[in-house]
Amino acid sequence: MWEILLHSLRKGVVTAKPAAPLPHDLAPAPRDSAGPIELLGEALRSEIHRLFGRSMKLRHVDCGSCNGCESELQALLNPFYDLQRFGLDFVASPRHADALIVTGPPALHLEEALRLTDEATPRPRLVIAVGDCACSGGFCAGSFATRLGVHEVVPVDVRIPGCPPRPEEITRGLLKALRK
Amino acid sequence: MTGSTGTPPLPLDHVLRSLRERFADAAIEAEPGRRREQRVAVPAARLSEVAGAVRGWGGSLITAFALDEREPHGHFRLRYLFSMAQEDAVLTLESAIHAGDPHFPSVTPEVPAAHWLEREIQDMMGLLATGHPDPRPLVAHDGWPRGCHPLRRDFVPPGDMAWPPRFAFTPVEGEGVFEIPVGPIHAGIIEPGHFRFASVGESVLKLDVRLGWKYRGLETLARGKRIAPALEIAERACGLCAFSHALAFSGAVEEAAGVLAPPRARALRSLAGELERIYNHCGDLAGILLDVAYAVGAAEGQRLKEVAQQACDALFGHRFLRGLCVPGGVTRDLDDARQRWLRALLARLRVDVEELVRAATANDAVMDRLAGAGTLGPEPARDLGVVGPAARACGIGHDVRRAHPYAFYPDLDFQVPVRSAGDVSARFSVKADEIQESINIIDQTLLRLPGGPLLTERVVPPAGRSGLGLVESPRGLLSHWIRAGEDGTIDEWRMRSASHANWPAVAIAVLDNIVPDFPLINKSFNLCYACVDR
Ligand code: SF4
Repeated sequence: MWEILLHSLRKGVVTAKPAAPLPHDLAPAPRDSAGPIELLGEALRSEIHRLFGRSMKLRHVDCGSCNGCESELQALLNPFYDLQRFGLDFVASPRHADALIVTGPPALHLEEALRLTDEATPRPRLVIAVGDCACSGGFCAGSFATRLGVHEVVPVDVRIPGCPPRPEEITRGLLKALRK
Repeated sequence: MTGSTGTPPLPLDHVLRSLRERFADAAIEAEPGRRREQRVAVPAARLSEVAGAVRGWGGSLITAFALDEREPHGHFRLRYLFSMAQEDAVLTLESAIHAGDPHFPSVTPEVPAAHWLEREIQDMMGLLATGHPDPRPLVAHDGWPRGCHPLRRDFVPPGDMAWPPRFAFTPVEGEGVFEIPVGPIHAGIIEPGHFRFASVGESVLKLDVRLGWKYRGLETLARGKRIAPALEIAERACGLCAFSHALAFSGAVEEAAGVLAPPRARALRSLAGELERIYNHCGDLAGILLDVAYAVGAAEGQRLKEVAQQACDALFGHRFLRGLCVPGGVTRDLDDARQRWLRALLARLRVDVEELVRAATANDAVMDRLAGAGTLGPEPARDLGVVGPAARACGIGHDVRRAHPYAFYPDLDFQVPVRSAGDVSARFSVKADEIQESINIIDQTLLRLPGGPLLTERVVPPAGRSGLGLVESPRGLLSHWIRAGEDGTIDEWRMRSASHANWPAVAIAVLDNIVPDFPLINKSFNLCYACVDR
């Protein structure tokens, strides 16, 4: 116990600080930046307050992703991004959800599961497609075993493209969903 | 199940001689292969016998698949690839199956590791494995129209595309037996799969794992594509092992084309492969700790995964290292300043992982849950052909980086951590040790990083040539096999991931454990669904 406390004191706060910052004289490999997580998160918090009073609950449905998008959704909850502090969380049942987060093209095998999950979600609900696959079929386009995006199965409110979108990009996309 | 498992592998020449002697009546033809591959044509009727013998001589099954060669040869071709680990050799058993009578004797009774592979061959190619102990469909859900075999060359997608999932399950009966169905959609950010437990009280009597939910038809989709788009598909078969997939696919294309990536590219491939292992294993440690409600440790493990992924992003432009490995080399370099930065970052990570492991293992509440949970013995592990950290946690020291060295591994000096208990705690320790070993490997690679170009000239395999790429992905042995088509296209592609080999073992490891420990046991294997379903 004491060891853990001591350890935490030594380590300090890690949330929202870059976990692996490159020194200033080294440019990171090129990528587009979605902006600092802290600013996105604060904006998200005020939108959530405006729309839901306190918190927004998400239910994730994997419809045949490669697991990359899942990993980034899980990352949203790690100590670095820690989106829970802005009033956002993933729940275990669609009955408790304000929004569905869907990944994957979807695969035909999961169509029924997606439809049933959507039916089980109380209205009004948002449907957010995360990843190129979910937005348009992505690299699976042309396969006989998948669709060309989640919208072919359930109506989609917001798309967050990327393969996979980085956690900042997902956060920005969620913000966009709430401002709609 | 054959018992001859512990014998050391014999040199390939000896195996070939024994094959000819023992199966003199079976018209076995050995065809000299490239580099390290030996192909042996076996009459279908003798296949299972010969496969059993090869296994007895130390061969371990890498993968098995079928090819549709009805045009022009009038038959299907079955291939069983065995690793002869002691001398970096691959022995392929081949059988022609006549198109008019698409049956073949199942190899599974002799080589249980072929279990899922043969079920998949039935679904994908429409061949029937006679004598298979459990011939239910694997990928094809029961709603598939008859005659829908997506890897046949004349496959036409069925008009009716709605496939409601209906399954046959093996019923378990008896007083007090309950069936607990779970999934496909789970309560968390997890991939879909259906698990059906039969339990008495709290103990698991039987677990039936039904996957195939994420079937995206990737091997069919890649057919006829040029190399670059095919690579994009291969790399997206799995998110968390994306780099390993790109590497195995590139290895297969390079072998078919007869080229080698330049030394600097090979070194950077090893480096990136180990970075991938580090972030995966950090995530796995976190997952195990989360499932025993050790929140501090879980948070720290997730933080370390994030550190490693941000490093991947900063250095190579992608958190999952996509786009880095291509046939012929790699697309990005590391200059001196970035190398120094990476070494310093990994030095800190090393200490952090040590501290995390020390804190977790010193905590009785944690260890009480890990020790003895989900024990997998070496015998079933060998029979089922378990690979990767899951195998090394029950005393099987197989590692592709040693057995079939690729990239920069022939030049590196590294340990392969092994434990013997086979429980969750052993898998935890193996992964923790492997993180340290990966950091060693990266340090060594950086010290010896060769100069020179990153890419060879254009890599175009001649039509008809095939190649095999083997990689030790974070979860274990990963194989990609390709055959080139005209004009730099991919004619056939077959892939088997470590998770495909290990899933049947999860169903064994949970037996006699309590149902509430299933998530923990499952997490300790941390298998992927996407690369199994494809
Ligand atoms: S968008 Fe990319 S990362 Fe997400 S599921 Fe599809 S292939 Fe995977």
